[in-house]
Amino acid sequence: MARQASPARLVIALSVAGLLAIFLLYTSIAGDANPSIAPSDLRNRTEKVQLAGVVLGPIRGDAHAAGLRFVLRDMGGDRRTGVPVRYSGSVPDLFKVGRQIVVVGRLRQGVFVAEPGSMITKCPSKYAPKQSGDPA
Amino acid sequence: MAELGRAALLVTLGLAVYALVAGAAAAYLGRRRLALSAQNALTAASFSTLVASGVLLAALVRSDFSFSYVARTTSEALPLQYKISAFWGGQEGSLLFWLAILTACGALAVRLNRAWARDLIVWAVPVFAAVAVFFSFLVVVVASPFATQAAPLDGAGMTPSLQNPYMLAHPIFLYLGYVGLTVPFAFALGSLLSGRVDERWLVATRRWTLFAWAALGIGQLLGSHWAYVEVGWGGYFAWDPVENAALMPWLAATAFLHSVMIQEKRGMLRVWNILLVLLAFALALFGTFLTRSGILNSIHSFTQSSIGPWFLAFIALTVAVSLTLLFRRLPQLRSPTRLESPVSREAAFLYNNLLLLALCLTILWGVVYPILSEAVRGEAVVLGRAYYDFFLRIFGLPLLLLMGIGPLIAWRRASLQSLLTTFRWPTLVALVSGVVLLTLGAGSSIPGLIAYTFAAFVLTTIVLEFARGTRARMALGAGSWSGAFFSLLTRNRRRYGGYVVHASIVILAVGIAGSSAFDSVAEARLTRGDSMSIGDYTLVYQSLDERVASNATEIRATLGVSRGDRDLGTLEAGKNAYTVEAQLSNEVGIRSDLLTGEDLFVIAEQVDPDGTVYFRVFVKPLVNLIWIAGFVFVLGSLIALWPNAREQRRLIQRSSEIGLPATR
Repeated sequence: MARQASPARLVIALSVAGLLAIFLLYTSIAGDANPSIAPSDLRNRTEKVQLAGVVLGPIRGDAHAAGLRFVLRDMGGDRRTGVPVRYSGSVPDLFKVGRQIVVVGRLRQGVFVAEPGSMITKCPSKYAPKQSGDPA
Repeated sequence: MAELGRAALLVTLGLAVYALVAGAAAAYLGRRRLALSAQNALTAASFSTLVASGVLLAALVRSDFSFSYVARTTSEALPLQYKISAFWGGQEGSLLFWLAILTACGALAVRLNRAWARDLIVWAVPVFAAVAVFFSFLVVVVASPFATQAAPLDGAGMTPSLQNPYMLAHPIFLYLGYVGLTVPFAFALGSLLSGRVDERWLVATRRWTLFAWAALGIGQLLGSHWAYVEVGWGGYFAWDPVENAALMPWLAATAFLHSVMIQEKRGMLRVWNILLVLLAFALALFGTFLTRSGILNSIHSFTQSSIGPWFLAFIALTVAVSLTLLFRRLPQLRSPTRLESPVSREAAFLYNNLLLLALCLTILWGVVYPILSEAVRGEAVVLGRAYYDFFLRIFGLPLLLLMGIGPLIAWRRASLQSLLTTFRWPTLVALVSGVVLLTLGAGSSIPGLIAYTFAAFVLTTIVLEFARGTRARMALGAGSWSGAFFSLLTRNRRRYGGYVVHASIVILAVGIAGSSAFDSVAEARLTRGDSMSIGDYTLVYQSLDERVASNATEIRATLGVSRGDRDLGTLEAGKNAYTVEAQLSNEVGIRSDLLTGEDLFVIAEQVDPDGTVYFRVFVKPLVNLIWIAGFVFVLGSLIALWPNAREQRRLIQRSSEIGLPATR
């Protein structure tokens, strides 16, 4: 066999280069990365974030009109960690007071305005017994 | 009874430890009888695990609430099939289920291969045993399914969404897939440990890998269909960490199934294949870790528990040991042949592997990114759907195209001339269908259009391959056309089964592209008598009914559906309110058009007390192809899996001759 530089090396080098290019391309056009924070960390941050917390009642309003209004508190935190949230769009079946949810949006004049349809609820632990001690 | 279960698991742990220690000693010292004894211990462990599983199943069926596990996962009134499915539903039970499949698969794989690959087997046994030690340690010490308590009057019951026929099959297939990947891993490590780094471990595990891979694929499709029909948000895959946890090992195993062929034929990619099998196994463990540790925010949140750190430690140990071994055997693993041209079948398979791996690793990156960013920046950053969709297109579309090119291009070095003749028709068909689709308006989504065009290309190559093969067999005197076709299928099951699987992936790709790139959605709040339209469908909200079933109040809105002038009957969508569990669930209305594969998908998002309903309606073209692809996938996997003594003999024969750069 004639001695020549292996194309395998070339192929690998090219694919690595290709990958890097794609990563750059991706970060420049499709950035869909949001910090995930707890309500008490929100304070005065106004960039787009993912907020994860527990729903505090009462739940008011209409998700398909002016929007639902409720308070989201830290998981494992108390009422003082709460932030008012306004949300419109699809409401998952499991949404109710005491449930852990995740919404994406940004803080506007003291109210966290969630993007329509961004709400995700966490299932109550699949087979776990009913949680009685979760303060709502 | 619980004592019997506990005792059986202790016996399993003891046998597994013995199989590990004695097996390793026997292999190291070359003691044949001791090695046999270790193999028998592995077989015995599978029986003691079976006993433990029997005890747990009996307790579940009899609703023996003195078992904490039974009380936590079921209730008296639960239908029998869901009492059984609770076996793999909860954490402790699923670990036991894993152990049972593992020991059974291990014992069987060892038995089937010990006649012709004894030197591999003696080292594969301690590897199986080591994994079994880990899992039996978990169910004995950390999370015992046989913990007892004073029996309560009734159990806590099962979440309504899990009381579903899909939950009888979906987890079983996923577990078969996860655990099945242990077999190629154990044989790969066995070959490294024994120093016999030839191609035999591939031949021994080929069908196991195929089986595990097919099971993982079927399990995921079942899960998607369940999400589509039952969860009812209008989608079937959400890039959730737990969904990704099953997808990643499947992608790694897919890459492995392809690169194996290069090693079998040309003796190349030896190190790469071992790395892939290690990756697939580690990802299977990682998947279990993800679902059980609660470290990530997932829609699926399982019982969070203390087994997470154990899993991480075991994954780290597995990877460290495997890499050390691999490094020590590197000189022996040098390939006797090399890639001769970047335009050849080897190269095409290599590109396929790089793309699959890139997709797998970008998904992994997305899954662990919140953890990494939290560690580095002190704040978890979550990558959204756009991240995954982007990379699915970037890596998935070239993969689709390669699926048409790879199987047809010549080994070693393909000439331009041969490429032109081979791909003339597929390219033509692809271009024509691209233009036709463009005039039909498919240009609204460029990735969708590209996917369709590539799909046409691949399908044409597959059809041509079948036609060519059938004609060749007819020329050999196979009589009728259909006889020639079947003899073609049976003569080379792996190859033609593979084509059928490829066809299923093309169908899947068309279904995904159609339903995600060309779907439409409309929403409106309607009072009775109002209508809305989407595409050429018109929906009239006719009535709202409330029915009381045994466990839930069912609220249903009835919609009259018509398309153009044609009346298509009615569709119901609504909600179930489960009284005991105090839970709501969406019950969507789906109208499938069998001719076009299109679905009209109606969600009654919100039902107001005055009877107005907020509807969200999707039209999803071609979505039914995804489920049809599932059946084709099963068919292709079965063809490829079907035992074929002659082919196995040929592979064994070839594996002893491989390593010579000569061409055959």
